[in-house]
Amino acid sequence: MQAMLAFENAPPFSAPLRFFLSAPLFAVLAGLLVAFEGPDIFASRWTPGALAATHLITIGFMLQIMLGALIQILPVVAGASLQRPLAVARVVNVGLSAGALLLAAGFLSGRPALLGSAAFILGLTMLLFLAVTVTALIGVPSTSPTIRGIKFALFGLLAAVGLGIVLALTLAYGWSFPMVALADLHAAWGLGGWAGVLLAAMAYVVVPMFQLTPGYPARASWWFPGFMLAMLLLWSAGLLADWPLLARLGQLGCALAGIAFAGLTLRLQGKRRRARPDTTYRYWQMGLTAAIFALFLLSAAAIWPAAADLDGWALIVGVLLIAGGFIPFIAGMLYKIVPFLSWMHLQNCGQAKVPAPAMNKMLSELGMHRQMLAYAAALALLLAAIIFPAGLARPAGLAFAAANGWLCLNLAGAALRYRQHRADIEAKLAARLSTP
Amino acid sequence: MSHAKTPHVVDARYMEPPGPFVATMEMLDTLQVGEKMLLLLFREPFPLYKVLRQNGHAYESELLPDGTFEILISR
Repeated sequence: MQAMLAFENAPPFSAPLRFFLSAPLFAVLAGLLVAFEGPDIFASRWTPGALAATHLITIGFMLQIMLGALIQILPVVAGASLQRPLAVARVVNVGLSAGALLLAAGFLSGRPALLGSAAFILGLTMLLFLAVTVTALIGVPSTSPTIRGIKFALFGLLAAVGLGIVLALTLAYGWSFPMVALADLHAAWGLGGWAGVLLAAMAYVVVPMFQLTPGYPARASWWFPGFMLAMLLLWSAGLLADWPLLARLGQLGCALAGIAFAGLTLRLQGKRRRARPDTTYRYWQMGLTAAIFALFLLSAAAIWPAAADLDGWALIVGVLLIAGGFIPFIAGMLYKIVPFLSWMHLQNCGQAKVPAPAMNKMLSELGMHRQMLAYAAALALLLAAIIFPAGLARPAGLAFAAANGWLCLNLAGAALRYRQHRADIEAKLAARLSTP
Repeated sequence: MSHAKTPHVVDARYMEPPGPFVATMEMLDTLQVGEKMLLLLFREPFPLYKVLRQNGHAYESELLPDGTFEILISR
């Protein structure tokens, strides 16, 4: 019975699952949008289609899964439980979904009402999430680099959301803010201060736990979030005060810190004790390699700013970092987290009387592996489409949509098997109770 | 495996969940009152902390430079 007690604090499985199942649909939409818009979408990072597709992925896919995972994992990695996690999950899931769709529609149509509504809904949703998360973390000491990283990442999220709202309203109502500088800062805080720092904080736990690697060195993992945020503040101060050298120093610092984290993770993975590389491992290898390339390009632009004006430069960095780095990290983690949570909730449901099926029965390794290969092909096509948009834009969009649709099907299959096993366990328990 | 702090050690650093939790609870069951055990992990096990508190066990944790958390648990 003691083993059962460990699970009583976990939020219901449906709390994170609703995020995990709805998020890939936004990546499918982004792919279909690329296919529909065709070569024009690759003209620059500022085309309405590129902005819409980017935010369908960053808000609809990445943010959904990151927030869903945080709701689940905060009690496990920080001992902090959100109040009413299921209600929070429902509201945040609906708010993010509606906000991402409205924002994409606003970019595509240019209608101020859509952009304004998106900013309002996303702002309120994130305010709610930040309020409940910060409340849960109040009084929790930073005893591990992961807890410290989560706290810093929430600050990064606040900055990214604040800048995003200002940008959406500037675009909608023609406010006189420097759009390009603010957009660069919004992307830097969103991808570096929030997603990057949160990814590192989670990696400190999940990479050794699921890939059986050595741990991350304490000192480096302790200072990484603070260093990233300090560099982002330098970058911000440089852009806002129009001191280009300071901004470039901050940009270079962020990129080098990211490269150091990715390089360290690759080194730890090289020392793993799991004999056979699984799909999560391969997804992470893909993500780390692409992220290192993207960050090298970002470093080069910090040293030689004219590079960023080269044709396709910004798009290549964006595709490498988001589609090449973050999506593979997230998909790889989902392929571990969903079977693990299924197993944990089934184990709890069986009350130590009916055993749960093994974790590897929830998702087929072959199915995950094939999906990953499809995603790798889609990524290669997307990168090639930046250089040869005329012939490759539509196939790349369709391939990206198909690979993410496959991810959704794999996860939905696991959720279905979870429900079947749960019904089976409940029937066996009822039969034991009715037996005299 | 033994350690300067106690001869009762669970090195769970390369175990997949729920191995560390199960191994810790099993070792705790074998200890006499007043004895201590050491759990080695690459993360802080908050769900385990909760169970330990509920069962009246004291614990203290220390983060080592290589990323290992040493968790000393009293029976």
